[in-house]
Amino acid sequence: MAKTLDAVVQDPTIARSMAGLREQIEAAAAAFSGDGAHLGALLQAMVDDVARASAEPVEIFPVKHHSPSSALHMLRRLQARPPRVIFMEGCEDLIAAMKGLEHCRFPVALQAFAPEAPEFPSDWTPLNLVAPLTEFSAEYQAIAFCMTHPETELVFVDRSVDHVFQWMPQKGPPPGVEAEESDEGEETGAAGEGEGEGEEGAGAGNTANLHGGAVGLQIGGMEPTFDEFLAVLLKNARVRHYSEWWTLYVEGPTLGADYATYRAVFFLVGSLLRRIGITERDRLEDAQRERYMWARIREGLRSRKIAPQDAIYVCGAIHAVSPIEEFGTLTAKEWTIPPRTKTQWLYGIVPSSYQAIEHQFGLPSGEIAIAQSMWEKGLKALDLRPLKVPSAEAAEKAEKKRAAAPAVKVRPKAVAQAAAPAPSAMSAGAGGGLGEFLTRPPEFVAADDEQLLRWCVDVVRLARKNNYLASTADTIAIYYTAGLLANLRDRPHPSPYDFQDAAITCLEKDRIPGKRSVLRICQILLGGDRLGRVGYESLPPLAQDVYDRLAILGLNLKSGRIERALMDIQGRPELLPASDLLWRLRFLGVAVRPIMGERTLGHKPKQESWDVEIGKQQWSLIQLGYEGLTVEQVLEKRLKVKAFGANARATTALAAAEESILYLKSGRLTRELGLRATELLRDEVGAADAPEIFQRVRALVHYYRTIGLPEWIKGFVSTGYRHYTTLLPGAFADRGTSPRQLAAMMAFIFTQEALAFSMGCERSQLLISIAQAEPEDPAKVALLWAAQWIVGQRSEEALRADFVHLMSNPLLLPAFPEYMGGFLLALEFTPRITRLAVEVLSRAFAALPDEVLVPWLPKLVVTLRPLGGLMQTLVKEAGLAFPRGLAGLPSWEFAWERALPPVAAPTPEAVTSAAKATRAALPELSERERGLLALLKAHPASLDALVQRLGVEALWPSEQVQGAGESAGEGVAAGAAEGAEASAAAVTPIGAILQQYPATLMALVARLSRE
Amino acid sequence: MAKKKDTTTTSEPETAAAAAPAASATTGTSASKLRLPAEEKYAEELAYLAAADQDVKPFSWRLSPRMIRAFILGSSAQDKLDRTINQKFFGDPSLVERAIVTLASDRGLLLIGDPGTGKSWLAELLAAAICGNSTHVVQGTAGTTEDQIKYSWNVAMVIASGQSRESMIPSPIMTAMVRGEVGRFEELTRCSSDVQDALISILSEKYVAVPELRGDDGVIYAKPGFTMIATANSRDRGVNELSTALKRRFNFVTIPIVTNNKRSEKEIVLFRTRELMARNKIELEIPPTMLDILLQTFAELREAMASASSDEARLESALSTAEQIGVLEDAMLHSNFFGGQTMSAETLARSLIGTLVRRVPEDVAILNKFWHAGEASKSGPKKRAKGEPEEKPAESKGPEWEAFAAGGKKALGSFK
Repeated sequence: MAKTLDAVVQDPTIARSMAGLREQIEAAAAAFSGDGAHLGALLQAMVDDVARASAEPVEIFPVKHHSPSSALHMLRRLQARPPRVIFMEGCEDLIAAMKGLEHCRFPVALQAFAPEAPEFPSDWTPLNLVAPLTEFSAEYQAIAFCMTHPETELVFVDRSVDHVFQWMPQKGPPPGVEAEESDEGEETGAAGEGEGEGEEGAGAGNTANLHGGAVGLQIGGMEPTFDEFLAVLLKNARVRHYSEWWTLYVEGPTLGADYATYRAVFFLVGSLLRRIGITERDRLEDAQRERYMWARIREGLRSRKIAPQDAIYVCGAIHAVSPIEEFGTLTAKEWTIPPRTKTQWLYGIVPSSYQAIEHQFGLPSGEIAIAQSMWEKGLKALDLRPLKVPSAEAAEKAEKKRAAAPAVKVRPKAVAQAAAPAPSAMSAGAGGGLGEFLTRPPEFVAADDEQLLRWCVDVVRLARKNNYLASTADTIAIYYTAGLLANLRDRPHPSPYDFQDAAITCLEKDRIPGKRSVLRICQILLGGDRLGRVGYESLPPLAQDVYDRLAILGLNLKSGRIERALMDIQGRPELLPASDLLWRLRFLGVAVRPIMGERTLGHKPKQESWDVEIGKQQWSLIQLGYEGLTVEQVLEKRLKVKAFGANARATTALAAAEESILYLKSGRLTRELGLRATELLRDEVGAADAPEIFQRVRALVHYYRTIGLPEWIKGFVSTGYRHYTTLLPGAFADRGTSPRQLAAMMAFIFTQEALAFSMGCERSQLLISIAQAEPEDPAKVALLWAAQWIVGQRSEEALRADFVHLMSNPLLLPAFPEYMGGFLLALEFTPRITRLAVEVLSRAFAALPDEVLVPWLPKLVVTLRPLGGLMQTLVKEAGLAFPRGLAGLPSWEFAWERALPPVAAPTPEAVTSAAKATRAALPELSERERGLLALLKAHPASLDALVQRLGVEALWPSEQVQGAGESAGEGVAAGAAEGAEASAAAVTPIGAILQQYPATLMALVARLSRE
Repeated sequence: MAKKKDTTTTSEPETAAAAAPAASATTGTSASKLRLPAEEKYAEELAYLAAADQDVKPFSWRLSPRMIRAFILGSSAQDKLDRTINQKFFGDPSLVERAIVTLASDRGLLLIGDPGTGKSWLAELLAAAICGNSTHVVQGTAGTTEDQIKYSWNVAMVIASGQSRESMIPSPIMTAMVRGEVGRFEELTRCSSDVQDALISILSEKYVAVPELRGDDGVIYAKPGFTMIATANSRDRGVNELSTALKRRFNFVTIPIVTNNKRSEKEIVLFRTRELMARNKIELEIPPTMLDILLQTFAELREAMASASSDEARLESALSTAEQIGVLEDAMLHSNFFGGQTMSAETLARSLIGTLVRRVPEDVAILNKFWHAGEASKSGPKKRAKGEPEEKPAESKGPEWEAFAAGGKKALGSFK
């Protein structure tokens, strides 16, 4: 193998070991598999891959995401010999997001955001992509290095964010959703030991959903996606998941290895995954990306005129061993990069957290914390100091410190560190090539045992704090058990996973909901969750503005906890703008919650208290920052989208108008939205939204009454009046319009009538409409009756008679509940019917047979429930109708029975016959009247009943009594019986009164005769 | 100390041996024993593993933890054994590892799980692998007394010759102590708390004092290797709560119901049913579609029960894998003796209903609802994407499903 490579990169031993390895592998392949062909070929190909990647003049630095080993090697590599340019896997345009990195506390995520993307499927928007960064990742070390060493340039070379979305399957569900679903699958898959997810108390703070529906990207992702491969790998390695395998078999051993070995091992593992570990689809996508990256690298080298030896290419190990033809700087094959779409991308930084990263990428929980502890262990063992992005705050502090103490004391340790970092690092495993690495058992850093012991002590302490019964005996048991488990799983030393298992075995007795599980305690012990923060300076202007404006509340908005804001607005009116802002933020979905206080039309805030979580959920604020410069602007935009969107309806536009009053207090915008609502209402064909529109309009009109009605609401009301009046006949006949909607339409018409008249509407339009209504539905018929009553086309008596008729006719009886239901709906627009409703209901309860009454009762409750406030008047009326105490019961009778004696005959026929009967007493009789008189004489029962009811003596000539009771209608008979009872009970007090004061009777007679 | 059951016959029919893989060579016979304990059933495997074992063995264990692992979970390439050992317990490997490790420490092991999750089977396997004797069992009931845990007296002998070691009747646990073997306690939480607490001194001091005896006989010490495996039913939680002192002396290992891994569940069901069939010398092929129907129905039932809002709407049965085996066995026996040697979907449905209905009006109502809702969803467009076996297209379930549904309806009808 020809080697023309840099001495630092290419240890000559690797060539030697490679040759040795090759021979060994051939022998092994021959020994294990029958013909040695397949396995041998695979192993050979893997070794070739390693050789090929090593031979590339641009130094390829293979990494894995969040791998402390990669980070350590990166750190040492860069310190040993800084390159002129670092090409890194990562969306090339994301580099724009890195500006504010120095003001952040990690982990944070670089974000690309496109609020509008017409060239992508519409349900994908807004497009959102995050690439999280943790401090112990190789990419962070590289970024930090480039920031502190301006002579080294950092270039992202992977496909742009736009291409990420372009290359996604366009037909599938929105990308973020898909990711989330698959994550959930992962979680249920691991539910065996991962029940702790649900148990986690709210106090612990679950930040898993921090990234929301964003698409996640990680630099150096290498997960096996081919399930069968993964299953075999896990089974043989005796681990539960891939991360554990990686930590145990790659991460740990390479942590202390030398650079050449590290590279070779990563190449080898990358090659293994590349060849048999991933699905075909992923393989194709990877190849595409690699073409892209190499094209960019060659371009970058050419344009900067840099020799390939002065560059480092940082990429996932899986890409380092790519078999594509376009691989490398020496290839002749070029590849043209496809164009981007016209989508406008915005870039920024959002805070991230370990949990969020784990959730996003489906890592087992606690994974990142373990990586962090390994990183710290490695740093300590190798005596290295990590690179950090120069923090603005820290620099300031250092400045102050220096000013305070000018005499800098040189610490001996620091000197030692400065003197000998490189040799110690390089000698850690110098001389050991890949071959040796593969044949020698992994070494462990000596401090491991001490660390395990400390964990055992700490976990027991933490468990005690969490109300577990744990003692020193448990510490010993955990330590011992961890050792046994490691031995059982063929490990020389317990891994963090073994430790976790041991702790669970020894400590967890019962699962108590609300208590932290031992697994969770272990994770907290190993580092727990860590929440990143984006510094004020790096925030978008909108977020900065919010921070400034909320400063008056004196909250610590940087805190990761929930902050409580107490506002006495009456006492300190200067707090009102802050309150307004909080309401706006809440409306926009930022993490603030009102605990006390409300915002309704016309409400003047006095005192409010809020839970502000902005520090913890910074991302929601940052996301808003992409949409505008101020909260108000974003709010206006959102409201306009709501009202002017393609599928906006009158009710949504009206809601937007209402919200604009509540949150923005801008007359201009409200007017605009209101006019839009009017316009939408005019075009609406159905009455589906009528209930909601009615409620809103009523509230709005009510609100504006006090401050003067603006033109738009007047316009809306008059339009609504005309529109709904026009729709009325159709709605009565249309089966698709429910009685409730119809009632809402009429409610709109009748309650807003006065206002509509002032705007030039006329009642005649309504009268015509009502005249045309021909409902079939019983509920609608009842509604029509109510409407007719209001406009004076129907008398109360007629209405009552109608209902009594319904009850008396056995064929109509089953439909009575429906009629009643419709009638009750009319309560919403006319309280006048309350009394009648109570009366009819009371009658119904008395008269309806059980088989109709009992099934109806639940329905009645359902009908009455939405009436809300109207129930009170109904109940009040009912209270008047019934006796107050037991004492009143014997002498009690219904108010309507007392007040309306003449209408004793309950059916319309009876009413008319009574009228006719009275008239019969008058001397002049027409032809028809005479006929009627004859009829009455033939069937005198009704008149008898009436007379009896009135308590006067029957004055029939003897021959007229003959046919009594012969053919009297059922209803009449019932009425008569009722009357008889009444008179028997009260010993005809009415009769006595009537005899005393005949004037009433005379008036009644006159009245009846008039009809 | 390992009492090898002297074998008299080896005339096991070859067919049965073929149906039950790896269970063929037996030390005891199924002719003399209805059910062989694990150590006899797998005697050959255990002997092989003991011979191949190179590792350090804790106490007087017969196998090292790694070999026990291989015995229970099956061998993998890493064990470097030159024959395959079949998997006997299907479940999370880390769970078994934790159990083995617990036994190697000085704490007892308490296996908790829903009924039918294989707690007792795991306990038996562990005991068989560790000491070659899984029969030191105390069954916890409401009537269990302290005597049954410690010792009692042979009254006749006491009257005749006074209290001595000879007139004492040791409990299975005491026997295990004396021999340095594994004592098992089934359904620990069924017996009352004060009886449970008799275990505290056994587990911590590792001896039982017998005040009736004097001198050296007065204390009975446990030999190295003695440990306890107890099982407890998670449905019994709260009936007899374990005392804190006892909890401390046990490590708890919770065995979940295998719900999210259909493949392994299928393996378990097949494995166990074949074993049962071999015992009954039944030759009956289980049609793969029947198995799929069974698994699918159970999966759907579990889903339905999980989403049910109250206990009223849930079946009393835990719907564990053991119940599936029960259903399949029942169907098999029925079709073997009363059917035409083939298992029909109707039989399966009848067995399923028969097994799951425990409370007559309630369970029937629940199953009735499920059965008809299930019908609707099956004919509808709902497609179960995850874990659906490929050979069965989801949209047209085939005639077996229809027969199954019809059989179920008939069986449900017979309850009314």
